[in-house]
Amino acid sequence: MTDDKDVLRDVWFGRIPTCFMLYQDEITEREAEPYYLLLPRISYLTLVTDKVKKHFQKVMRQEDVTEIWFEYEGTPLKWHFPIGLLFDLHASNTALPWNITVHFKNFPEKDLLHCPSKDVIEAHFMACVKEADALKHKSQVINEMQKKDHKQLWMGLQNDKFDQFWAINRKLMEYPPEDSGFRYIPFRIYQVTTERPFIQKLFRPVAANGQLNTLGDLLKEVCPAAITPEDGEKKNQVMVHGIEPMLETPVQWLSEHMSYPDNFLHISIIPQPTD
Amino acid sequence: MCMRVESDPMSLNFDAEDDFCLEENRFKQYCAEFIKHSQQIGDGWEWKSIKDFPDGYMSKTHFQMKNGNTPSIFKDSTKESDEQTLTRVEEALDDSQVAGICATSEVIRYEYHVLYSSSYQVPVLYFRACFLDGRPLTLDEIWEGVHECYQARLLEGPWDTITQQEHPLLGQPFFVLHPCRTNEFMAPVLANSRRENRNINYITSWLSIVGPVVGLNLPLSYAKLVSEQNTKAD
Repeated sequence: MTDDKDVLRDVWFGRIPTCFMLYQDEITEREAEPYYLLLPRISYLTLVTDKVKKHFQKVMRQEDVTEIWFEYEGTPLKWHFPIGLLFDLHASNTALPWNITVHFKNFPEKDLLHCPSKDVIEAHFMACVKEADALKHKSQVINEMQKKDHKQLWMGLQNDKFDQFWAINRKLMEYPPEDSGFRYIPFRIYQVTTERPFIQKLFRPVAANGQLNTLGDLLKEVCPAAITPEDGEKKNQVMVHGIEPMLETPVQWLSEHMSYPDNFLHISIIPQPTD
Repeated sequence: MCMRVESDPMSLNFDAEDDFCLEENRFKQYCAEFIKHSQQIGDGWEWKSIKDFPDGYMSKTHFQMKNGNTPSIFKDSTKESDEQTLTRVEEALDDSQVAGICATSEVIRYEYHVLYSSSYQVPVLYFRACFLDGRPLTLDEIWEGVHECYQARLLEGPWDTITQQEHPLLGQPFFVLHPCRTNEFMAPVLANSRRENRNINYITSWLSIVGPVVGLNLPLSYAKLVSEQNTKAD
């Protein structure tokens, strides 16, 4: 029987084959070749694309290179969303590789946050980790940790070191023996159809009667339109890390095993593909 | 002594476990009371709802010259919508009649939103500023408009960080005062009100602390409103 811990490794090492192409209106001194890269699902675009930037800078003039930003089929890609979430939300039912367009001009100020340095990514990542712990443990676990433990979480993510990361993260996945789970589950539900970037609400992993709440229970409460009615046709896919977990899965288990490194469950609701 | 006053919807929840936390419905009640007073004095705050959701937030927009003065054409702006104000500005600039405005590049539009964080159970202040041509101000440019004494306080205060974040309801970049230390600076305020058995409006107290740091000031009459309520109750 597969150990639950194998799921942690499968999530950590998930990759998306991606083809980066320079936007045709960027000014180049010679033609830019596309750049291929396997992107880690659990990381962030601006953290893992230094090589992409260097590759395209080689064919451009120094003065034309300002802040890099990415776009997929006309939609600016939010670097502060994990890569796996962006792919599931925008491109999971299209053929691989994922074709991303690279820009250096006309930064879309109204759509994207600026990312001037790796420190900004670290600050964003740690803010998410802290918010998740506020929900799970009233911030007690994260506040008890030393600064060097926080740093270890970040370095583990940045350097793709599973063991280094989980040595600290396992503490964020514990709960008092007298409880059946976390205080609230850190989750966010995303749909492309709304202006609102995500839905996030307080949701307990255990019901009043002591039963474990499931993914289906969560959706029913927070996003009922996503659930297929009994006699109806399936209109949506509920996706995490590229798969559709069974709606009977307890959210406590999902939170412990399928959260992103920021300790949030990022769930995409996307249209059911018509084959 | 039991501090929970069930019959008074404006009282704070004194549940021992949650100490000074602000529950979401109380947040909405405090905002409603705050906005009611704002309407009475023409301070420009309004409640914005999100389509198809029960969520909403408090919003205020004001215009300021780069040098800190409010141009005369904007004196009545709190009583009109943003579009009406902008139309008047554009017409005036076309006519080149208004002596009080130098150039579009000098007028800054500030926007402040008060949202509720269910994760931290506190209000959160989101803000952004742009010139009339749409160009957004950077955090440094916003800082220039903040009074010196607050700039020093910001560097040492418990607000910790102001960062650019995505607005959770609108999906656009805003600057945010991080909420994780709010309980820290609100605790003494709430403890005092508890000791003196006085009702306070959490939003008024909170906004009067964090607002000035980012260029948002509250007229003193907000405080008078709350003390009037207390006097009536005595």
